[in-house]
Amino acid sequence: MLKNFKLQTAEHDVVKLNDEIVEFVKSSGVESGTCTIYTPHTTAGLTITSFWDPRGLEDLQDEIRRIVPTRIDFKHQHDTPQDAAGHIKSSLIGVSMSLIIENGELLLGHSQGIYFLEFDGPRNREFYVKVQSDK
Amino acid sequence: MGKHENAMKNQVYSLPSLIRQQYEDLEPKTRKLLTTPEIFSIQKIIITGCGDSFAAGLATKHIFELLTGIPTEVVTSIELSRLYATNQLGNSPNNPFIFAVSHSGTVARVGESVERANKYGAYTIGITANKQSYLGKSAKKTLDLEIPSFEPSPGVRSYLVSVLSLLLLAIRIGEVRGKYTMDVAMDYRRDILTQADLLEESLPLMDSKTLELALNWSEMEAFDFVGSGFDYAAAWYGHAKIFEAAGKYAMHVNTEEWLHLNFFMRNFSKIGTVMVANSSNPCLSRALETIGYSIELGRPTLVISDIKEDVFSEDCTVIATPISKYPISIPLTQFVPLALLSGYIAKIIGEEDGRGCKDNWSFAQNGNAVKNSEIIIK
Repeated sequence: MLKNFKLQTAEHDVVKLNDEIVEFVKSSGVESGTCTIYTPHTTAGLTITSFWDPRGLEDLQDEIRRIVPTRIDFKHQHDTPQDAAGHIKSSLIGVSMSLIIENGELLLGHSQGIYFLEFDGPRNREFYVKVQSDK
Repeated sequence: MGKHENAMKNQVYSLPSLIRQQYEDLEPKTRKLLTTPEIFSIQKIIITGCGDSFAAGLATKHIFELLTGIPTEVVTSIELSRLYATNQLGNSPNNPFIFAVSHSGTVARVGESVERANKYGAYTIGITANKQSYLGKSAKKTLDLEIPSFEPSPGVRSYLVSVLSLLLLAIRIGEVRGKYTMDVAMDYRRDILTQADLLEESLPLMDSKTLELALNWSEMEAFDFVGSGFDYAAAWYGHAKIFEAAGKYAMHVNTEEWLHLNFFMRNFSKIGTVMVANSSNPCLSRALETIGYSIELGRPTLVISDIKEDVFSEDCTVIATPISKYPISIPLTQFVPLALLSGYIAKIIGEEDGRGCKDNWSFAQNGNAVKNSEIIIK
């Protein structure tokens, strides 16, 4: 089963995706299998991190920006410096992840949130979730 | 061929396809012209040119400031080449950033202003169709225009391409400097492209109303063209076309000054008065007041606007221009009725463009008067 989800992001947004993905996995009826989450963008990423303190999400974007600051001397100049930095951040963080489904539910730790990381924004974005049964 | 057909009208009718064709050519060129470090180094912009090219600067000055946040001046080429303070040229590396516009590239004063600006450390970009011209060779970089040749007339197509080039550069600079997202920048660009369709739809009515007006106005002794902001650029363009095409007296003035000066002219019923007033203009309230006074005075009054006709008095003629999503696209179409008006008046009174550069005007043959001039770089 494959489903497409749409979202609108703000600049450097961090968007929690747990609810819709958990619901989709439950509705699939798959007891044991794999859930693949994928976003078809080059200036965004997908990650798992703790959801308990929202300020931690700001830390995450801050530290990613510290590692890859938006500079004006990127060789990629067809678009904008923010876009060039976003490509690198997206490559480093990745645009897909696989999670385990067991007993009809996603195997997520009690602190684990699935997050869409916006490295540009505001943008209209999308991601896909595919559920595959082991059987 | 109808008896009122003329080259300016033919150029006008070619504009929708020209917008589409030039957008395809200039969008990638304006994207690649400046490096990101160059764009981030800009502290001040100057646009210079002569004639229509100067008007293209007037049409886009406020748009550069709106989109990029960079202070922008429009400076005549003779001021930039002879008078502009040298300590304001090269006052910081690569500044000011100068866009010098000349389709032919052969206008002496434009090339001279670029040479002088280079001498004192400014950064110069030529916007020209002739890279081998004086401007093309003098400027540090050129935006290379390729406008398909067409039946000659006082500039219509070249003016549109000058405005389009500057608009695309403004959008690009604002985009790279992060003033708005790439999505918003693309929406601005799409709106520019949409003007081709909107103009195509508007042209038949715009044309018939302009012809009707031209038949009534062909014996006018003089013309006032009035506007503020980029409406003033359309007014400036309109007055230039009356000189070039029809050989009659014309004046451009801003909306406020018209009420300080021009309305005192005695022969009010023989002065065609053109008010350019777009809906987004912060000066619109003053423009509406001025239109009212013009009608009260008895001036034959034409209003060029994207506002519904019924907002205006029945005692003036209103010619509607396309309604754009963003105000920045308005300068691409609001000059069009003025080109039609000048072309029709010239045809009706039997005037030859530029007096044919014959007889008393023969010194101006082949652009001699503007191309051949002593160059002084001080």
